[in-house]
Order: sequence, then C-alpha cells, then structure tokens
Amino acid sequence: MSRVKRILFYAAVVGVVLALVLPIITFFINAFAFRWFYPQFVPNEWSLQAWERIGLIPREGQRTLEGWWRLLSSGSDVINALGTSLALGGLVTVLSVIIGLPAARALGLYRFRFKRLVEFMILAPTIVPVIAFVLGLNINFIRWGFSGTLLGVAVVHLVPVMPYVVLTLSGVFANYNPEFEEQARTLGAGPLRTFWYITLPSIFPGLVVAALFAFLVSWSQYLLTFLIGAGRVITIPMLLFAQASGGNNAVTAAMSLIFIAPAVLTLLLSARYLSGEASAVGGFGRI
Amino acid sequence: MTHVVLQKLNKVYPGTTQAAVQDMHLDIPSGQLVALLGPSGCGKTTTLKMIAGLIHPSSGDITFDGASVLPIPAERRGAVMVFQNYLLFPYMSVGQNVGFGLKMRGVPQKTINQKVIEMLELVKLPNIANRRPKQLSGGQQQRVALARALITAPKVLLLDEPLSNLDAHLRDEMRELILSIQRQLGVTMIFVTHDQEEAVLLANQIALIFEGVLQQYAPPDVFYRQPISERAARFFGGVNFIAGTRRGDRVTTALGDFVFNPAGKDSAPEGAVTLTIRPEQIVLQPADTRNSIAGRIRARIYVGTYTRYKIVLNDGSEIEATRPGDVGSLEEGDAVRLAFPEDRIWVVAQR
Amino acid sequence: MWWERWRIAVMLAPTLLIIVVLFFGSLGYGFIQSLGYQPNIGNYSISLDAYSTVMFSERYSEQFWRGLRLTFFVSLASTAIAAGLAIACALLLRQTFVGKRVATFLFQLNLPVPHLVIAIGIIFLFSNSGLLARAAAQMGWISAPSDFPVLVRDTEGISIILAYLWKEIPFFGIIVLAILQSVGEDYEDLARSLGANGWQRFRYVILPLIMPGLLSSSIIVFAFTFGTYEVPKLLGVRFPEMLPVMALEFFLNPDLNARAEGMALSMIIAVIVLALVVVYMWISDRAIRQT
Repeated sequence: MSRVKRILFYAAVVGVVLALVLPIITFFINAFAFRWFYPQFVPNEWSLQAWERIGLIPREGQRTLEGWWRLLSSGSDVINALGTSLALGGLVTVLSVIIGLPAARALGLYRFRFKRLVEFMILAPTIVPVIAFVLGLNINFIRWGFSGTLLGVAVVHLVPVMPYVVLTLSGVFANYNPEFEEQARTLGAGPLRTFWYITLPSIFPGLVVAALFAFLVSWSQYLLTFLIGAGRVITIPMLLFAQASGGNNAVTAAMSLIFIAPAVLTLLLSARYLSGEASAVGGFGRI
Repeated sequence: MTHVVLQKLNKVYPGTTQAAVQDMHLDIPSGQLVALLGPSGCGKTTTLKMIAGLIHPSSGDITFDGASVLPIPAERRGAVMVFQNYLLFPYMSVGQNVGFGLKMRGVPQKTINQKVIEMLELVKLPNIANRRPKQLSGGQQQRVALARALITAPKVLLLDEPLSNLDAHLRDEMRELILSIQRQLGVTMIFVTHDQEEAVLLANQIALIFEGVLQQYAPPDVFYRQPISERAARFFGGVNFIAGTRRGDRVTTALGDFVFNPAGKDSAPEGAVTLTIRPEQIVLQPADTRNSIAGRIRARIYVGTYTRYKIVLNDGSEIEATRPGDVGSLEEGDAVRLAFPEDRIWVVAQR
Repeated sequence: MWWERWRIAVMLAPTLLIIVVLFFGSLGYGFIQSLGYQPNIGNYSISLDAYSTVMFSERYSEQFWRGLRLTFFVSLASTAIAAGLAIACALLLRQTFVGKRVATFLFQLNLPVPHLVIAIGIIFLFSNSGLLARAAAQMGWISAPSDFPVLVRDTEGISIILAYLWKEIPFFGIIVLAILQSVGEDYEDLARSLGANGWQRFRYVILPLIMPGLLSSSIIVFAFTFGTYEVPKLLGVRFPEMLPVMALEFFLNPDLNARAEGMALSMIIAVIVLALVVVYMWISDRAIRQT
C-alpha cells in the first residue's frame, strides 16, 4: 500500500470505529457530567451526583465502609432491581441449560424423523417478534396465576433464550464423538461419572457460551418482564425505560452503564470465542 | 511458450526476520514442466504466488521472455494459478466457471460459450457445462479447474499440488492429461508439491527447495543418482549413509575402504564425506569381494514386488538393501556379504 | 426397551414443551382472541371484526396504514443500509493492520448492548441538545438548539433507523467477516490470476460468497426491526406510530374490547414476518437445488 492509501485506510478505520462507539461515549459523559449546559461540548464540571441519586455511591462524607454498607442494605430501587435482574438471569441460565442440554444432544448427535420440523419450531422464537406472542401469553399467565412472580417471568424468558442455548450446544454436540463415553463405560465408569468426567469437560467451552447467552438475553428483556411481571418484578431495564422516557439525563446514563456492564464484560472475556461464530453472534444481535 | 526466469528472488514477510524465499535463481525454458519441490513451509508456494503476482517479492526480479513482469498486476500478468483444492466457484455452473477468465476480459458471451465447449473437450469432459461443481467428482473438478485456467491462454500455468488430492488411479489419468495438454499447447508449467513422487511423475526438471533456498535444480533421475546432499538424498528415499574420509576416488570408513567411480567426484571435496548408496543398488552375496562388507540379516520384510533386508554391519550400524521379488533363500539371522558397485556409490560433503 | 425407542423424544420433550406451550400456544391463543373470542368478558362468538376495525374503520384506518408504511420503511431502510455499510466495514477490517484486534473489538462493542440502550445513546447523540448539536454549535454552524435538524422523535422514523444502524452494522459486519475469514483469500487470488480486477473480484467473487449469509441475516434483522417495541416507543412519535407500539397501546387500553384489536395487530405483524421467512426459505431452497 502506498503512503497516502495507508493514511486514508487508517482514517477510515478510525472513523468507522469512532462513529460506532460514539453513543457509548455519550453515556460516560452524561453519567459524570455536572451542570452540562448547552452548548458546552465537554462538561465544565464533573461529579458523581447521578450515582449518588440512584443510590449506588454514598454521598460525600459518607464513603466509609459503614456508609457503603448502609447504602447496600437500604435497598434503593436500583439496588433492588439489580438483585432482581441478577436472580432472574441466574435462574433462567440454570433452567435453560438443564432443559436445553438433552435437546441439543439429540439434535447434534442423532438423525430422526421430523428433525427439520423440530429445528424449525425451536428456532421460530428467534424470528417471530415478542410482541406477536406476548399478548396471548399475558392473558394465560394471569389466568394461571404465574403472572407477577419471579419464577413466572423466568419461565417466560425461556422462550427467547431456548433457541440460542439449544443452537449453541447442538453445534458443540455436532462435533462431539460419543464413543468417548462408550470407552469410559467399558473402563468402568457409571452414567453419572461418565457425564462428569467425559461429557462435561468436552462440552464445557460451549456450555459457557450458552450460559452467557442465556444470561444476557434474559438480562436485556424488557417487554416480556414488563407484561408478565405485572409491575411486581422490577428489573434494571424497567427502571431504565421509565427514566429514559422523561427523566434526568445523568441518571439515565448512569443506569445505562450499569445495564450494559455485564454484556460488555462478557464480550471482553469472550471476544476470541465469538468472532467467527455466526450462531453466537446471532444471539447477541437479538439483545 | 514463455521463458520464465527468477533472478535473485527474495521474500521476507513483514514481522519476520527469516526469509521465506532466499536468493532464488531459476531459469525455466519455454515449454518446460518444472516442479518446485520441498517440505511444507519451504517457500515453494510463496515462490509460485510471486510468479503469479499475488505476492510481491522483497527484492529480485521475475522475467517472462526477458521482460520484467513485476510492474504487471496479477490480473494482467498471464500467469494463471490452479489451486490445490480446485476452488470452483460454488455458485456458478461448470460452464460459467470455465468462462470466468474471458468474462473478466469482456469477451462477448457467444465467443465465451464457444471457447468453454472447446476447453471442456480439451480436458475430456464434454457436455457438463450446465452442471454444478458439487455434482462432480474430485478428478472432474480438477479438470474443470484446469480448463478454467487454460481458457485465457496463459503464458505460464501455475499448479498447486496438482495430483495430491487424487487417488492412485486418478493420478495416472491426470498425469497423462496434463502431459498431453503440455505437448499440445506447449505452455510453460510450474507446479509445487511436497511429494517427491508427484514431482518425479510429472516434471522435466525439479527444483528442490529447503527453507527458502534452492538446493538442486535438475531432471528427476539425477536426484536418485547424484543428490546434492544427504538431506536431498533422504528426501528422495535414500536410507543408507556411511561417514568416511575421501581421498581421490577412495573413501575410508569404519567398515573399510570403498572405491567409487570418479563420475561423482565433483560432488564432494576431499576430506570428511558421507557415502550413500540406494538400497536397490546393493548387491547381496556378490560373486567377488570388491567393495564388499559382511553383515547379518536382522529383518526380512516381504513387500510383494520386492523384499527389504535390514542388515546389521560389523560396527553395529544398520543398512538396508532390497531385491526384486522373493528370490533366494536369505533368512533372518543369516550372515551375508554385500557389495557396493563402484558406479552406484555417491559421496556428498558432510554437513 | 422403551427407553431406546423414546430416547430422542424424551430428550427433546422439555424444550419442546416450553416452545409449544408458551410460544406456539400463546400465538394460537392470541389468534383466537383476535377473532373476538374472549370468554372472560363473555364474548364467545368469532369474527374478523377486530381486523376490519383496525384496517378499515374510519377511526383507525389512517393510523394503521400510515403506521404499516412507516414500519416497512424503517425496517427495509435499516436492513438495507446496515447491510451495505457493514460490507464496506468488513472489507476494511479484514485487512491486516496495526491495531486490528482493538479495532475489531470496538467494532463489535455494540453487539451485546441492548437495543434499548442504543436508542438512549441515539437521543444523547442526535437530539437538538445532544453531542452533535453541541459540536455544531461549537463550530458555529447553528446558533440555537432549534436550528439543529429534528432527528429524534421525528415523523420519518430517522432516529429509529439510526438506532438500528448502530446496532445492526456490527451484527452484519461480524457475519460477513466470519464468512470472509472462513472462505479465505484463495478464491480472490484465483480470480485475480484469471484476470479479474478489484471491482470484478467484489462483484463476481466476494458478493456471491457472502450473499447466502447476508440474506439470512437480513431476514433476522428485518423481522427484528419490524417487531421491536422499545426502540420505536422511545424514539418514535404518536403519529405515525410503528405497529408494535400501536399493538401494545391497544392491548393496554382499559377498554377490554380494544384487546382484540391489539391482538389483531400483533397477528398482522407475525403474519408479515412469517410470510417473509417463507419467501426466504423458498428462495434459498431453490438456490440450494441449483447448486
């Protein structure tokens, strides 16, 4: 490449990347800005005020161990919602992996009648929008008394989560040789120990990816939680949505940062895993 | 009909210090079929891609008929590559694949169709223009790839491991096809391979390359009779190597003295040398004792068309000899004499 | 043994139970409700009234058709523009250069960021007191916030498209990058040595190779942008309103009769998306049979 071409090339790369991360940069500015009046491009003053307001950082002068503890145990809205979001995500992750593992194994290892149909059915929720089925679901859940409970919301989150868990894991099983299990059995391992020593270690990386998906897809659900939670299951996106449609910019930005933290963390940890894995990327795209 | 010359060609990839190709000097007369042979990673494919124009050399020159082609980009150089895995475009029919090169040159579709039929006949696959690449066997795909390359009437045809993906019987067929096309069109062909058998089967001349450095450039039989080094000999299946000291046409070894024919005297200087002889040239139980040593058969391996003997010599070293068929009554444990005919002995400098 | 025979069915059962009961069951139940069958308010008859009310009644028809047009426009524009720009980005990022890892990571950064958050970022960026308006003011291009073009909560859905672009360009880009990576550069080298110039290599080699992946991900993106609620709710206006927002508003209406209309709207969204998938499968099936 000639010199001019190289410079143009780098300019293009920097331009593209900068443009794409610009919205995220605005969160950092807004979340720490203080009295950021128009038309200041960069705030003149910075503060942690937004973080104090949502109850994640103690007020000045109270940032002692005791102050932090009091804050955490006070149960502000955001702290409660964080707890709910985490519990919900954890529950959905565990449930989806336990439920999806056998199905993924069947799809990855065996050929059977109606396999295409089964695959189609499992993939259908990735294409059909939430709005199309959540309304009917809502009415039934109210009738069954599941509505407004953490478990009810977790079960409903399984609908958008299952396709990604099953898809990721069946891909793992497609490259898995079950003869290792047979070898272990002939060497004297029972079914449980075979699973623990043979199956689990071989599928572990895929299992981690699937679990991360399950967690992130659940973590970022808004509409399902909103309609099935019936105002009693309050997660971070619910608070954020309320803030965003008419709240304080700094608070909205601070909450947004909390909301995207696990996802970005995951990407950081798994960037190598995911590049090139289209199915995995598909999962992220739907968040 | 193009005379290709590589002059002091060097390639150092950015971020590396070791040259992938080093001072490569190669003169390929018009209409030759030359093999670039070497283990994987020796720089042979880099050399091929430099000729194609897909990789730019760090220094040196490549000329076609005396004119440098370095300023000419790959798409106009006329050096067409045929890749090892054929790379037929999966989304095109066979005919579209073959016609690709002409389409890129803006040739009218009618002419293209005409030429496609001609080319498919040349590779002996008529009437498959409408098929899809997936419907073809490996051997057929290879021929389509060949037709696709030849349709542009290239100055130089570059082939990447042309026989290595084929079964034994397809190899013969493909070899004959390539040779007949070579005779018919007279196009200069250069191919790379890591398989000495493939090189010997096809090439008029073989360029043996180790670590980016050209070792020996000669017709195939020379590599069996007069390899340049022990390593070259090993690459062509040599197994018997005996260290010694050369004085004139005599080599003194721990096993005794051997006299060799001065035909090979240019290969190594006086002093420390390695003596080598191919297993099939060793005479077992010779009539006279000239150039002969004693040993004991450790193992007898019957291979069908010939028999291999592993023979332990007096100093404990081992040597291998072969005899056609299963003649004679040599058994494991038997004492034998073996003679090295003096015109079959070859000496190379010790490393 | 029964286990051998039913093994696969037993393995699939838990997942299918979730999908069939919660997903297909809800779709079916929503469909029945859209036909006006609402036993809880004593309505047992079946009719297409809700559909005709939504689509043709004087009260709602303009809202519906304008909304449908906007939804189609936003989805098509987002999908097409994102796909096009993503191809360019992928071609850029697949070169080898210093800092490639960092650039690729930052390129993917929006991928796991929820749509809701990107929508908020678009407000912070493009609203008339947002970062870009401030930049314009600093440059002296505008003197008051009102001089900045209305890009957020605009009637054309521009901010909605922008949000989708920011989210879907990395999505398409990573898919295209993955395909290009798995295909390698040999096809292009080959085409080059057969005489194809830069544009021809793009047109006859790269584009056909990435097309299948691009098409199927376009379907995913289109379906998603067609049915998402959060983004148009935050960035849209009351009129014209995108269909998913309209559906939920009908549904949440205290008047229980409006429920059927909400259900009808959600069914219309589902049918359009499914029709698209069927057309896609038909096309790709034909393409597969051809190759």
